Amino acid sequence: MSAIRLENLVKRFGSFTALKPTNLAIGDGEFMALLGPSGCGKSTTMNMIAGMEEPSEGRILFGERDMAGVPMGRRGVGFVFQNYAIFTHMSVRRNLDYGLRMSGRPAAEVRRRTEAMADLLGLGDLLDRPTAGLSVNILQRIAIGRSAIMEPAIFLLDEPLSNVDAAFRAVMRTELKSLQRQFRQTMVYVTHDQLEAMTMADRIAVMDHGVLQQVGTPLEVYNAPANTFVARFIGSPGMNLCAGRLAQTDRGLAVDLGALGLTPPLPPALAAAARNGRSEVIYGFRPEAVHPDPAGLRLPLIVAERIGARTILHLGRGGDTVRAVFQGNPDLPADEIALAPDPAAVRLFDAATGAAIAEA
Amino acid sequence: MTTDADRPAATRAPADEGARLGFRLTLPAQVLVLFISAFPLLMQLYISLTDWSPLTGSPWPRAWEYWNGFANYLDLVSDGRLWRSIWRTLLVVAVAVPIEFLLGLGLAMLFVDDFPGKRVAYSILIAPMMVVPAVAGYMFFMLFQSGGPVNGLLSLFTAEPVALAWLSNPSTALVAVIVADIWQWTPLMFLILLAGLVGVPQDQLRAAALLGASPAQRLVTIVIPRMKTIMLIALALRVIECIKIFDTLFIMTGGGPGDATQTLSVYIYDITTQDLIWGYVAAIALAILVVLSAGAVWAMRRMAR
Amino acid sequence: MRRSLAFECFRYVAILVALVITLVPILWMVSMAFKPFSEWQATGDALTWIPRDPTLDNFRFLFGQSGSDLIVALDRTAGKPILASLLSASIGTLIAMSAGTAAAYGLSRYGSGANLPLALIQLRLFPPMAVMIPVMIMWAFLGLMDTWWGLALIYGIVTLPFAFWLMKTFFDDMPKEIEEAALVEGCSRWRVLTRVTLPMMAAPLAAASLFVFILNWSDYLVALLLTTRDWVTIPVYMASLSSSMTGQLYGAKAALGLIAAVPPVVLGLMIQRHLVRGLTFGALKQ
Repeated sequence: MSAIRLENLVKRFGSFTALKPTNLAIGDGEFMALLGPSGCGKSTTMNMIAGMEEPSEGRILFGERDMAGVPMGRRGVGFVFQNYAIFTHMSVRRNLDYGLRMSGRPAAEVRRRTEAMADLLGLGDLLDRPTAGLSVNILQRIAIGRSAIMEPAIFLLDEPLSNVDAAFRAVMRTELKSLQRQFRQTMVYVTHDQLEAMTMADRIAVMDHGVLQQVGTPLEVYNAPANTFVARFIGSPGMNLCAGRLAQTDRGLAVDLGALGLTPPLPPALAAAARNGRSEVIYGFRPEAVHPDPAGLRLPLIVAERIGARTILHLGRGGDTVRAVFQGNPDLPADEIALAPDPAAVRLFDAATGAAIAEA
Repeated sequence: MTTDADRPAATRAPADEGARLGFRLTLPAQVLVLFISAFPLLMQLYISLTDWSPLTGSPWPRAWEYWNGFANYLDLVSDGRLWRSIWRTLLVVAVAVPIEFLLGLGLAMLFVDDFPGKRVAYSILIAPMMVVPAVAGYMFFMLFQSGGPVNGLLSLFTAEPVALAWLSNPSTALVAVIVADIWQWTPLMFLILLAGLVGVPQDQLRAAALLGASPAQRLVTIVIPRMKTIMLIALALRVIECIKIFDTLFIMTGGGPGDATQTLSVYIYDITTQDLIWGYVAAIALAILVVLSAGAVWAMRRMAR
Repeated sequence: MRRSLAFECFRYVAILVALVITLVPILWMVSMAFKPFSEWQATGDALTWIPRDPTLDNFRFLFGQSGSDLIVALDRTAGKPILASLLSASIGTLIAMSAGTAAAYGLSRYGSGANLPLALIQLRLFPPMAVMIPVMIMWAFLGLMDTWWGLALIYGIVTLPFAFWLMKTFFDDMPKEIEEAALVEGCSRWRVLTRVTLPMMAAPLAAASLFVFILNWSDYLVALLLTTRDWVTIPVYMASLSSSMTGQLYGAKAALGLIAAVPPVVLGLMIQRHLVRGLTFGALKQ
């Protein structure tokens, strides 16, 4: 009933294609994050699900029901805008009960449900206050409550935490997630912050320039990025991606990274898949997945960021940089660091297409 | 001892220099305002207490020779022509302004979205308020001639040709004047109300729609409450201007036939230029001044709330 | 927002009707302006929109060339009234804009003249007719009756509120940082105003000036009372074009009306963006 399916969905604005043909299935009760940089098409997609924009091509189905022609007031979706769109000329109560009043519910029922929702969100004391001048955190709760009170099967949120102060963001993340668990709604959550997506979502749809790059669980997109974009976008800092040539050494197939040196030998399965008529590849590894190794890459230290719990090293030579992240505050040699990526963490990508090279 | 002026500019206190410059900058405007309010006010106070008229041959400073105390003020209370002219003015305002408001609002709502030809249509629709009012008066004078296009248009719908003498018939003359006013000033309401409508946040309207509100519900719960101030401004502006109505009307009918369209301004014009009873006119002017000032003060108090 | 088909149809029909109603009076006057004398009084079936015999006679008549059908010659052409309107409106605008802009700047940046906003609104509140007697007496006393400069002065005063309020909102909207930067660099305050602020304000100044000009050009009542023969403006002259001898000079008056109406409409369309601000004394911006 509240599963969403996008079939060959396309959106054009004049000559500009905001969303290229996209297929996506969101399960009933699933928390799906649409993640990507500005302009990637995530908000456009969500606007079409809500009914605020019409698809240029393709279909949107809720369950088995095609939503073409269904106006946005009748789709049974809740929507939280980035700037909350609170009715600033009305009190908190009038905001919360707006949907119920517009659908003509009896006054007693409206009152009861409004007060229940207000209690749930900690807004009980503020019910009859005007909304003007309230803090952003409270406004966000009103925005959520205003939609949630209608008990929609599908909840759409457009970057709801981008206006919230950083300290409060973590609190709101857990609240949103528990709300979703409690009400079992299907939630579609648009964000450009990969940390938000990683911590909250059941699955993440990574998008860039109107194209879906990868759909998977947080762990999947983290550990098995489908292409260089996802590899770089996920993780903070993102995966190191270095261009290189395959080079046969006496210990196995390795990658010559030019100025950065020669990598340790690739694991056999990866080496077998890599060869496939290629000579150039992109060698990737996450900054966290490295260990000191005298036989590995020897790289000059450019700068070390010590931020307390972690230390981020920027290493490189000749214009190419590589990042490494170590826990805590280790002592470091002044000039050169020798390290090697953990073998299981090495990823290869096709130099031409950027697609991941899967193990044979 | 060195004075302020002797010290070089850089060492004078900046605040002083600013205040001094500010004073000099506002001086011309202050002088002009004083010029136009001080003398006229005092002069009118003076001659309103007399029976002076330029016909007497004496210059106005000698008006005391015709002193009659508050007689003018008493007269104006019982002056039938004055009150009838006020009544006619209020009638015109009460009919024209609401129609202008509703038509302007309706048009504005049609112009909220984009559509092909919007810019051209918009430019044409706001043109009437930029037409010189006296010329608009003449336009409608021509239109309402008994052989003119208005009758011509009406004749299309009736068996016999319509030959209403709009401007020479006391009952229809006022209608013609009101029509001219609506034509000229509805665009003003349209302009202002459209600016207000566009200022209603789109996101709030969308949020309301997503919560299931119909267009009518959105209008009543979101658009109109947010436009209250603007609507009040538009109405206030228009009412004030409409009370002063003169140019268009005077060219169309001259206040006639008889006094059928003699509004307040026309009445004052007539007794100023024809009857020349300037002492009496001064009393009327001051009475208007008092009433309007009181009204303005009351309105401002309400707004400050 | 998406709209239903029925609404779109309604929209187009309604706007079309509005456009027709808007254009009918204007087009009728245009039509009359080009009609020869014989067609002026046409009624019933003979009533036409497009002149059967379009002619420039009416315009020629206004400027002294008596047309073939018009028996009477004017005792003066429309030339002087046009000049009167131009001079009084322009200089009136100059006066209003100079005093208004200066005062607006003084109030906006230095807080001087706090009484002006209220005083200037009150000036617009009262029916002009109610204050014209003292003005007529003053003007007669100062020798300003029936002169274009006398008119210009009263125009400048009467439109001063608009000039002031418009420029004040523009100044208030302009960030102070640029002026403060210039001050820090050692410019005197006067030079900041003339060399920094005013050049930046060129567009708003132009728009405000055009707005005030339109108001001055459109005046009728004040000119009616303060001019008699020599320096009547176009609207006054137009009204006086008919007399018992000549009857209604429909075509000629229409032609003159056209001449009078075109400048403000053209100028008004040029400054469309600022109309709302000007008409609401800055309470609203477009």
